Amino acid sequence: MYHIKNILIISLLAIIVSGCSSVKELQIFKTEVPRASLNLPHPEAAKMEPLQWVIITSENAEEVFAKLKEQGKDPVLFGLSDKDYEFLSKNFAQIRAYMIKQRQVINKYKEYYEPETTKEE
Amino acid sequence: MFSSIKIAVVLMMLAGAGGGVVYVKNLKADLATSEANNLKLEQSVESQKVVIEQQANDFKAILVANQELEKTNKTLAAEFTALDKRFNKINSKGEVRDLGDLAVKRTKPIERVLNNATKKALRCVEIAMGSPLTEKEINATKKSEANTECPSIANPNYVPY
Repeated sequence: MYHIKNILIISLLAIIVSGCSSVKELQIFKTEVPRASLNLPHPEAAKMEPLQWVIITSENAEEVFAKLKEQGKDPVLFGLSDKDYEFLSKNFAQIRAYMIKQRQVINKYKEYYEPETTKEE
Repeated sequence: MFSSIKIAVVLMMLAGAGGGVVYVKNLKADLATSEANNLKLEQSVESQKVVIEQQANDFKAILVANQELEKTNKTLAAEFTALDKRFNKINSKGEVRDLGDLAVKRTKPIERVLNNATKKALRCVEIAMGSPLTEKEINATKKSEANTECPSIANPNYVPY
């Protein structure tokens, strides 16, 4: 008699306990806050002042200085040898190339990270 | 004796039925939760697909940007080589061009050449800083019209041969 009762009680408990098992709800969190665009404008291009080279040799030196006096300029010239002139030209070209590359890199960053503001410009 | 067994059996049956109802209810709730979870997982897979697609597009954009920078580097290097050649050109006698010697012999023409080249080089700096191109610069197609110091940025329609 007790044996049957125990079996029935255990079966009943098993049914009740199995009813307690449950699948938990999956929680997914998503919080996306867009970062404000930096969108800095490029600095304004400067207007270069014109330069005038004067070639001075032993033959034309007097003529050149006389001309400077005529024009009301101080009779003095800051000189470069032909090789130094070549170096100055090449240095200038390298600085210019660096500026071009730098500007392109900035533009590419802007296009990549701020495509919307780049389109607007 | 028998009546107490009957009562116990009936109670057991009622408890069993009650348990069954609760079990089915829980099962239904679990099913609903599982369905909701499935939906979320499907949405998650979709959003992951979008992320993967975005990553692929970013990769392409990086590749294109690098290629364009590489192209600019090559063009600028070629222009620098051309400048170097102008200073160290080999003449018909097999001698390296000597700017100093030329300036002594042909002072005025060389002075004019230097001043023209300097004017062009200064304009190149302005363009490199972002100064807009003039109509004349845009429409230049011949060498005589082009800024030979930096044709790659000054004359988009000029093709050097």
